[in-house]
Amino acid sequence: MTRGADLALVAVLLLAAAAALVFGGPAASPGEALAALSGSGSPEVRTIVLGLRLPRLALALVVGAALALAGAALQALLSNPLADPFLLGISGGGAAAATAAYVVLPAAALGVVPAAAMAGAAAATGLVWWMARGPLGPSSTRMILAGVAVNAATSAAILTMLALAPSPRLPGVIAVTMGSLASASLGQVGWLAPYVLVPAFVLLLHGRDLGLLATGEESAAALGVEVATVRRRVFLAAAALCGGAVAFAGVIGFVGLVTPHLCRLVWGGSTRRLLPRAALAGATLTVLGDLLARRVLAPAELPVGVVTALLGVPFFVALLRRSA
Amino acid sequence: MIDQIGDGVPAGPIRRVVTLAPDVTELAFAVGAGHLVVAVPHAADFPPEAVGLPRVAPNDAEAVLALRPDLVLATTAGNDPRVVQRLRQLGTRVCSMDVTSFARLAGACRLAGEVLGLQAQGERLAREVEERSERATVRARVLPRRDALYVVWWEPLIVAAPGTFHDDLLRRAGLSNLVPGSAGRYPRVDPELLLSPRLEVAVVPDERDLREGFARAVGSPAGARLASGAVRVIWLAADIANRPGPRLPAALEALVAAREAAERRASGVVDPGSVPPPTPEKQTPTNQRRST
Repeated sequence: MTRGADLALVAVLLLAAAAALVFGGPAASPGEALAALSGSGSPEVRTIVLGLRLPRLALALVVGAALALAGAALQALLSNPLADPFLLGISGGGAAAATAAYVVLPAAALGVVPAAAMAGAAAATGLVWWMARGPLGPSSTRMILAGVAVNAATSAAILTMLALAPSPRLPGVIAVTMGSLASASLGQVGWLAPYVLVPAFVLLLHGRDLGLLATGEESAAALGVEVATVRRRVFLAAAALCGGAVAFAGVIGFVGLVTPHLCRLVWGGSTRRLLPRAALAGATLTVLGDLLARRVLAPAELPVGVVTALLGVPFFVALLRRSA
Repeated sequence: MIDQIGDGVPAGPIRRVVTLAPDVTELAFAVGAGHLVVAVPHAADFPPEAVGLPRVAPNDAEAVLALRPDLVLATTAGNDPRVVQRLRQLGTRVCSMDVTSFARLAGACRLAGEVLGLQAQGERLAREVEERSERATVRARVLPRRDALYVVWWEPLIVAAPGTFHDDLLRRAGLSNLVPGSAGRYPRVDPELLLSPRLEVAVVPDERDLREGFARAVGSPAGARLASGAVRVIWLAADIANRPGPRLPAALEALVAAREAAERRASGVVDPGSVPPPTPEKQTPTNQRRST
């Protein structure tokens, strides 16, 4: 059953990726896209499929996997089903810094917005860690409370900047805060993919420790887990994943929060095995969400976070009711 | 009297007018009521007589009330409808303009004249808007119809859809909007649309942010057809093209003139693909000043 579900997940991911390339946008028909993928077709359609749809697909895969992996790790680390990069203020920090850059910088300098987002996410991470510290290191409860406080502060900052932003800049600011994969390029993916590999590897490496931590700090320590070290590494790795995602795609909600729960409800099992499944499921959800965001009102685009929420919530509620 | 959003405007003498947007500021001056205007929004920069007037924040109902206006001129193109409604609830006489086409622009001119007690001037201005826009529309009828976008922002790509005065501007200039009306008035659209083989013309307001956004778009994969010149980019002076005010006919005239010049150039060469417009040219309207 579990193996079958794993295979089904991989199959859905591959189908979603193929659909994103073939049905992805308004400018090339599925037939033209298939021709371009097979090496024929006009140069214009090849540019559309390989120059626009492929980078967008790749970014959706990386961002979705990063967010879901970060969410799964944080939920296990903090033993809290509501923990995710948003609750902890990490996404908010990235979004606030990106918004500030968008509002303040001249248009010619907007290329540094991703760097600002990553710096903001890192600053929020440091702030949460600093606020949550105690004599025995930061506790789960204090980290969540500190995250809520940082999140509230960054939300206030974003709203203030939205109120004060010059009106021509508002569309860009809204795209940052609502999430979008529209500006994906192979250069971005080429930069982001190696960047997320290291923290993803750190999280997968600590899968067993996270499983033990999810049962409680004392029992985990009794079983040989170096709680403080694992907590620090996992938190920083999850924050790095989230910072990378926010930098290039803005704030895409829901994926980090609910994807791990979906995986738990489908597969159950250990945290160690949950992590790679969450990454695959997050990538799938984000690719499908972006595809629907582009197609439902084409050529208009919906915010991808709205669609991922609309896709995931009914499925999540159904599974929740069934498990109850 | 009923304004363009369907609310009643009580009759009465007008001595103090506050305008809440640049387009209605221009409208008040164009119908000859400039001497009645006591405050304008910060963005109002035309006509020159408006520049020296006191400024008011359009979203600050308290500041507007403090000016004791007999009439507030508002617009759906930028004013917060809650603030406008609040002013009305507090007993202020408010007239809201909702210009989504040249026909409604002429209606706004008549309404402004009527509300301000300057019916003849309002009627004259409305006729001028109608005649100039009709002349430009007739000129454009001989041009080949081409698919186009009116670009409001490059990244993310935001364009004007049917139901906006920008769409009417395209239509009257012989251009077909590539964006359907189902997407909302100013939807964010898939950047892939820039690579659609159907897209032949992009009309863009000429301002610094959009120029810099264009430079970035041209360097991106989505901007390949912009860079090659397959999509002709026509820049219109931003202050006339972005405001649904009495100078809007000048934007239409400039757009039609730019199209005529482009078609002449295209017909004069054997290979239309060799027409080299990767560096966009600014189209300056022959008459950017007041339409009165």
